Formats: sequence, structure tokens, C-alpha cells
Amino acid sequence: MSDAIDLSVDFAGLRLANPVCTASGTCGYADELADYLDLNRLGAFVTKSITVEPRAGNATPRIVETDAGMLNAIGLANIGLERFIREKVPLLEGMAPAVFVNVAGRRIEEYVAVAERLAECGAIAGLELNVSCPNVKQGGITFGTDPDQIAKVTAAVKAVAGGKCLMVKLTPSVTDITACARAAVDAGADALSLVNTFPAMVIDVASRRPVLANVTGGLSGPAIRPIAVHLVHRVWREVAGPRGIPLMGMGGIRTASDALEFILAGATAVAVGTATLIDPDTAERIINGLAAYCRRTGTTRLADLIGAVQ
Amino acid sequence: MSGKRPFSATVFKNRALRARIWRLDVDVEPPQAQTFLAAIPGQFMEVRLSDLSLPRGTEIPEDLRDAARRQIILRRPFSPCDIRKTTKGARLGVLYQIRGPGTLRMSTLGAGDPLSLIGPLGNGFDVPADLRRALLVTGGMGAPPIEYLAEYLKTRRPDVDVRAFAGAKGLEELPYEVRFDNEKGAILDEFRRLNVESCIATDDGSVGFHGFVTDCLHHWLERNSPGEGRCIVYACGPERMLAATATVAQAWGLECQVSMERMMACGIGLCQSCVVPVRGDGGTAVNKLCCKDGPVFDSKDVIFE
Repeated sequence: MSDAIDLSVDFAGLRLANPVCTASGTCGYADELADYLDLNRLGAFVTKSITVEPRAGNATPRIVETDAGMLNAIGLANIGLERFIREKVPLLEGMAPAVFVNVAGRRIEEYVAVAERLAECGAIAGLELNVSCPNVKQGGITFGTDPDQIAKVTAAVKAVAGGKCLMVKLTPSVTDITACARAAVDAGADALSLVNTFPAMVIDVASRRPVLANVTGGLSGPAIRPIAVHLVHRVWREVAGPRGIPLMGMGGIRTASDALEFILAGATAVAVGTATLIDPDTAERIINGLAAYCRRTGTTRLADLIGAVQ
Repeated sequence: MSGKRPFSATVFKNRALRARIWRLDVDVEPPQAQTFLAAIPGQFMEVRLSDLSLPRGTEIPEDLRDAARRQIILRRPFSPCDIRKTTKGARLGVLYQIRGPGTLRMSTLGAGDPLSLIGPLGNGFDVPADLRRALLVTGGMGAPPIEYLAEYLKTRRPDVDVRAFAGAKGLEELPYEVRFDNEKGAILDEFRRLNVESCIATDDGSVGFHGFVTDCLHHWLERNSPGEGRCIVYACGPERMLAATATVAQAWGLECQVSMERMMACGIGLCQSCVVPVRGDGGTAVNKLCCKDGPVFDSKDVIFE
């Protein structure tokens, strides 16, 4: 049946066919996922982190499963900026969804160096600034827990981003996430994504050692969803809503209902992460589920539900 | 595109070989049946166990009761021990050891139950055209891909001489049907049926040679030598066993392929968690993914833990 349901959303000037995106670090650089999912149905594609130099990442074990979730400590393993531009960007060129590249670094100059080069790539619609990775010793979360540092790195990248949509990814591991959100928006962020994983630890009681070689890792999956929904709602109500800044909400989304919670809480887009690792076609099933929800409830425009929690 | 999505298989049978070692057989219909029938030994699949319920409380062994309470979300990787054609498609054999919340749930599967699979995944063992002899080495739950390799070689490469060396901690951990013969002692039925000579080694001496399986391999090579023509050692098991196998192979100048194991979240190259360090150009270590670049590697390339 050809219904009149409109799933599209306006994300900082980018028209997304629907709000469902991939979460960085769970979907590779797109080609890995192409056999398992129709990438062109996504609202946006967010790549795994890119740093100036290639990174080997942490020792193994890098993941451990826990109740209703998992910890990862990959350590921003990636092929590095130049190889990404040479080998992966051409593959992204034909993609229908908007492409965001997740940018990471140890120092502000490294973020700037990556952003500067990516600003030249026509296939890339936006940058996601990773100031919240809990698994690296320098950069990452050490930027993301300090509003001054967030402001500095955001402003520096904004200056070289050449008009690309700049989205700053927030860590939940702070006392007041709205202070971080405000710092990013004041410094020029066009959008915010939240939440990154929660720093966490699992101990093997037989060996009496941490399971992860990195000792700690980031907790993701359904375990964190209610906290993530709460944080999205706070940031929406106190910062993003009033300032007209769109949010990409994430944290344990597995189903259309999960995605709708985030949308009702104030997210314009939602990203699927851990669930993609389990069922790589999850994003597509969520898109179908959102359409079904709209049909069922007589909603003609999904965008009307953004922040519509009563 | 997007032709490798998760699909549903149907349980044919699920039974215990030992107290803790079970064999599950699942039926796969076309079109996935064809891709599995074309699979190479050593390839694997990701199985979703998270929506299965636990066995009844009293059926859960005491030492697994804490683990049983943990919810699971990730799929579990298994390498089939057998893939055969049926009238409706293909039947896959899965050997597993009950040792945590996933495999406990797996043991509750019964005939007719649906099971979500992704696969076949990764790269299996390489069987070159000029192969003349295959020496198969397994330890513990490394058995499945080696068992399938034995069958694969026997049915598709009758020109190759195949013999197996199977190790485990003890009889209870040997993931095979074990028969006892007055003359020959313990016999692994899976290899006997294929007419493959096998040698058993156990850490506790409860059956077969009392010691490491790699010692069995070494003794056999001393007595028989690798012979004429191309001979490859194929191994799957604990990493220390793989490293020891590689050392024996190297001492005899033999090629050696090892199937590695790592904790995996996805099995398809997304999560980057299952890295295996290998020797890259110029001798520097390079991380490869166990799921996509492996799980089978040339032992010369692997930097063992």
C-alpha cells in the first residue's frame, strides 16, 4: 500500500530519509556491512573513528559480554586518515544516506588535521567529533569531560570543517551533561550525538583479573538505554530544544520502540550500535517498525514526534 | 547485495555425547543450504542463543548456576563439524561444550525449534591441488572444523593420506564418540567411520597417550617421516597447542595452518574485537581479524600469545 507516511527528518540542514543511523564503531566503514543490510535505506551512515595515523588498538580480549550489554575496549583501531581517504571514501560516494565520519585524536591539532582533509571530500556530509572514547589514554574522554576542552576542540574543528555538519559526541560519564552540550553548541556544533559508552569493568573471579586487557571498557547495549534516554531528554529540554540543535540519540537501541523512546525524548535521529553486531540488519527492521508504528497510530509525519513526550 | 542476512534454521536433533559435550544438528533450507554445502572446513557461523530459555533449575550443574543467571545478548560462533546434503537442503553438525549461559541455553533446543544463524563466515583451511598428506591435530573443543576437514578430504580428495591426532584434558572432554576395542584400545568413531587413523592424547592419561597431542604428532613423524609429496599440518585447539604444533611442523619443514579462536562480538568484521597479531611486511606486527581474515592462518604468520 502506498501510504502517505513521512519518515524524513531535517538534521541540521541535512534531509535524512528517516531517522535511523549506524553508530560509530559498530558498522566499519560501510563496505563490511553491505552484505548484510541495504545501506541505502539508512537515514545516515556514521563511520568508525578515523585518526591521523593508523592505530593498532588495544590488546585482546577487547570485548566481554555482560548482563544485557557488552564492554568494548577496541582502542580506536583504524586504518588512518590517508588510507581511509584513498580506499574507503570512494566507496562512500555512491551512498544515498548522509555520511558522517567519526573523527578522533589525542590533541586538538590531530582533530583539526583529520577534519581539514575530510572537509575536501564531497562524499562526506558531516563530521562526528569523538571527544568521548573511554578506551584511549590520551584524547577521547579526557576532552569530553571538560567543557572548556570541548569548546576548544569544537571551535578549532568548526573553523576548518568547510561547512560540513559538525556533530559532537558526548560522554555520559560527567556530572552535568548539559554543561558539555552547551559548551559544544556555544563553540559552533551543528548537532550533538549522545551517549557514548559508560566506562565499566568486569572481573573474572577465577583468575581474579579484569577480563579486558585494557582493564576497563565502555558499556553499551540495552543495559544503558534508560540512562541514555534520560540524558537525551535532559539535553533536549535544557540545551538542544531551545537552541534548535538536533540530537542523534543512541544507547541500547534494538527495536522501533526503543528508537521511538529516544525520538519522543528529543532525538531527531537515532543510531543503532551494539544491536548491529548481533543482527546486522537491525537498522532496516527498525525503519520498517517506525513506519508500522506511524500507520498504527495515525501519525503522518514522524518528525512530529521529536521531543513529544508528554 | 545484503544476501548474507541472518536466517532461520530448524533443529533436527540435539543430544549429549558426554555429560558436558553435546552435538546439535540443524537443517538449513535453500538458498542458504547451497552456501553451506559449498563451505570450506574451518569456516564458521554465528548462532543466536539469547532468545532461548534456560534448562530447569535442577538440570543446571552446580558450578554453572551463577553463570546461568547472566543474560546474554551476543551471538556465539561455532564451526560446523559436519555439513551434509539432505533431500530438502543441508544438515549442519555443531559440537559444543556446556560451559556458560549461552551453551546452557543451547542444550534446551529440541527437534523442530527455529535457530537464527549467520554464515558461513571467514576463511577455512586451504587444501591445495598437490596435497598428498594431511596431518590433523586437535585439542579439546578445537575438534569440529578438524572433524569436518577429515570428512571433506576423504570424500573430495581420496588421493590425500589423512591421519588425525586428537587431544583433550581427559575422556570426558573428548568431543567424539569413543569406542573401546580389545586390541586397539580407545577408538574415535568419527575418524574410524572415515577410515582415518587417529591417535588420542589426554592430559590425565584417562585414555590414549598420557601427554600432549603435539608429542603424539612428533613421535609419529619420527617413526614415519612426512613422506613424499606435499604434506600440511592442519590444527585447531587452544592457542598453546597451536603454537606447539607450529613448532613441531617447523622442525620437520612442514606447512602448518592453524584455526584461531578469539572473543568475537559480531563475527563479520564490524566490532574489531577479535584481532590476531601476525607478522607483516618487514617483520612488524599487524593486527588481522580472526573473523574475516581468519580464523585459519598460516602458522608462520601468527604471533602466538
